[in-house]
Amino acid sequence: MSNTNTKDTSSLLTIKDLHASVEEKNILKGLNLEIKPGEVHAIMGPNGAGKSTMGYVLSGRPGYAVEQGSAQLDGVDLLELDAEERARAGLFLAFQYPVEIPGVSNLEFLKASVDAQREARGEDAVTSAEFLKLAKAACKQVDLPLAFLKRGVNEGFSGGEKKRNEIMQMLLLQPKVCILDETDSGLDIDALQVVAEGVNSQRSSDRSFIVVTHYQRLLDYIKPDFVHVLSDGKIVKSGDASLALELEAQGYAWLQPRDEEGQSA
Amino acid sequence: MSEWLNQAITQAHGVSDWLSPKRDQALAALADIRWPTRKTEAWKYTSLRPVEKFSKTAPAAFNTSQELAQIEGFECLDLVFENGQFVTDLNKLALPQGLTIQLASQANEATQAAILAKFSSIKPERHVFGLLNDALTQDVLVIEVADNANIVPALRLTSVLGLAAQAHTRVFVVLGEHAKLTISEHYVGNEESLNTGFVEYEIGADARLEHYRFALQTGKAVSLGGSHFQLGERADLNSTLVGFGSDLSRVDVDMVHAGENAYAKMNAFYLLDGKELFDLHATVEHAVPNGTTLENVRIIAADQSKAVFNGRIHIHRDAQKTLAELNNRNLLMSNKAEINTKPELEIYADDVRCAHGATVAEIDKKALYYMQSRGISRSKAQELLNFGFINELIDQMPSQALAEWLRPQMREKFAQMEVK
Repeated sequence: MSNTNTKDTSSLLTIKDLHASVEEKNILKGLNLEIKPGEVHAIMGPNGAGKSTMGYVLSGRPGYAVEQGSAQLDGVDLLELDAEERARAGLFLAFQYPVEIPGVSNLEFLKASVDAQREARGEDAVTSAEFLKLAKAACKQVDLPLAFLKRGVNEGFSGGEKKRNEIMQMLLLQPKVCILDETDSGLDIDALQVVAEGVNSQRSSDRSFIVVTHYQRLLDYIKPDFVHVLSDGKIVKSGDASLALELEAQGYAWLQPRDEEGQSA
Repeated sequence: MSEWLNQAITQAHGVSDWLSPKRDQALAALADIRWPTRKTEAWKYTSLRPVEKFSKTAPAAFNTSQELAQIEGFECLDLVFENGQFVTDLNKLALPQGLTIQLASQANEATQAAILAKFSSIKPERHVFGLLNDALTQDVLVIEVADNANIVPALRLTSVLGLAAQAHTRVFVVLGEHAKLTISEHYVGNEESLNTGFVEYEIGADARLEHYRFALQTGKAVSLGGSHFQLGERADLNSTLVGFGSDLSRVDVDMVHAGENAYAKMNAFYLLDGKELFDLHATVEHAVPNGTTLENVRIIAADQSKAVFNGRIHIHRDAQKTLAELNNRNLLMSNKAEINTKPELEIYADDVRCAHGATVAEIDKKALYYMQSRGISRSKAQELLNFGFINELIDQMPSQALAEWLRPQMREKFAQMEVK
């Protein structure tokens, strides 16, 4: 995808020397990442490396403090913005654990999201009837029964249904940069394919993806342009799709930074 | 007690009519009772100062231009009290077969005697303002549904008060065996006023009552009242209570399972802002076996408002196989708002299934962030979340038309609330 992109070679998302902490514990320790329009970057790495933290920090989750560094989306300084403004600027995080909101219907939630983003872009609101059509189409695309539009947001959804619901939101919001935080965890092979197809249908020369995953499996369906290994808060190795296969075969141990005694972990 | 109240009671002593035996009984009970203070358990969190301060100025002429709210799709017969006076012309109402509505003062002696026998038997004597209503009410509106009659349309009972008015309305509703009725009580007005509005319901065997009480008086309107139910065998009660607060709003609900296998469901929710107060005391008596009670109460309190909920389910020794659930969830919108909740289960039978719980939460910050991460502003997210908290109960209202009528009013309230 990236090599077919002739329109724009400047970066869509630029993360520079990002340091961030949660409850005074440093998690990100100098993260650098540059993503050009149309690219798909996979981020892999051991538990506790900071993969999810990256998504939360970029999306503006309360409690995540940026100590240092910058993050720009299409030239906009993300870290200066409120969470909703980051979303309106084109950032989308598919949550590892989507939140249940009983009493707020999925449809109402989806419409409020789309309305807010359209309004921020100065576009006309879609009518309820038009939106219902769009929502139904998105619902079908991720293979969820239409009844899920009426149910409370993620309320009582299975793990797989929640992930499909995240992808449905992505389809409707049409973001510039999508971060998929372990969207494959807890999915059976059918659900994995549905999710991957949803993502692949959205790949385009002006939209980029960060796919955070533990497993090579997802990358069989969503082919990355680059694979990075995140360990202890920074990227320790980058490569092409073959790196994921290597990691699958050898694990992460050979990439761990050496500790002070000079022993390899 | 206050001056107006003393005067009102003195006046009541002088009245002599068909209701006198019950009125005298209530006056005697009132004379014995200690006026509630903050040390009285039932009034611990609710100050009666607005009652004591109530001025006894004569009410202004009632503004008849005030029209009843149109509720789209809700077909109903209107029964209206203005400043406590029953103003509906019963002769002009086309009543469906099986439904009788009359003012007790105009009924024949036999009917009056029958009403006297039942009057105030369902509403427990412990309610001070119930006793006051017994003493001060001028008449009793009696609604009777014959055995096997399925009454359509619904009945809408409205009590509306103007400035400086007081009203002591009283209604007695009887559902015969296998009868069906929908009744919606509406208390409206925001002028400085005082009302006690009590309704007693006798629900016969196998009868079904769909009930609503909209205690929507706001501002300086002081509203004290109650809905009291007695359930016969296999009777089915579905009750929804909605409250907005005022200087003082208090509703007492009593449900008595008098026949076996009765089913009572009550959903109540109130929304308070500013310095409003709303107090619900709900008591359920399981006197016989095999009864079911499901009670759900949700409260949202913003700004400096104050909510009181006391929910008591009393399961008597003989009431085996009772199923009773009492759930109370509360949402605080500000750290100056106050929610006082006390769910009580009192169980003397050993083979029962009971659950109760109360939670007080602040707004769910994780859900707020999730919504913001989709571009929804924080204030809109708050509105959606609050609405969601209540909407579950609005969704359960059996009347879609009433639910659709209520929803925008709730939204408007939410839109005005601030998180502090």
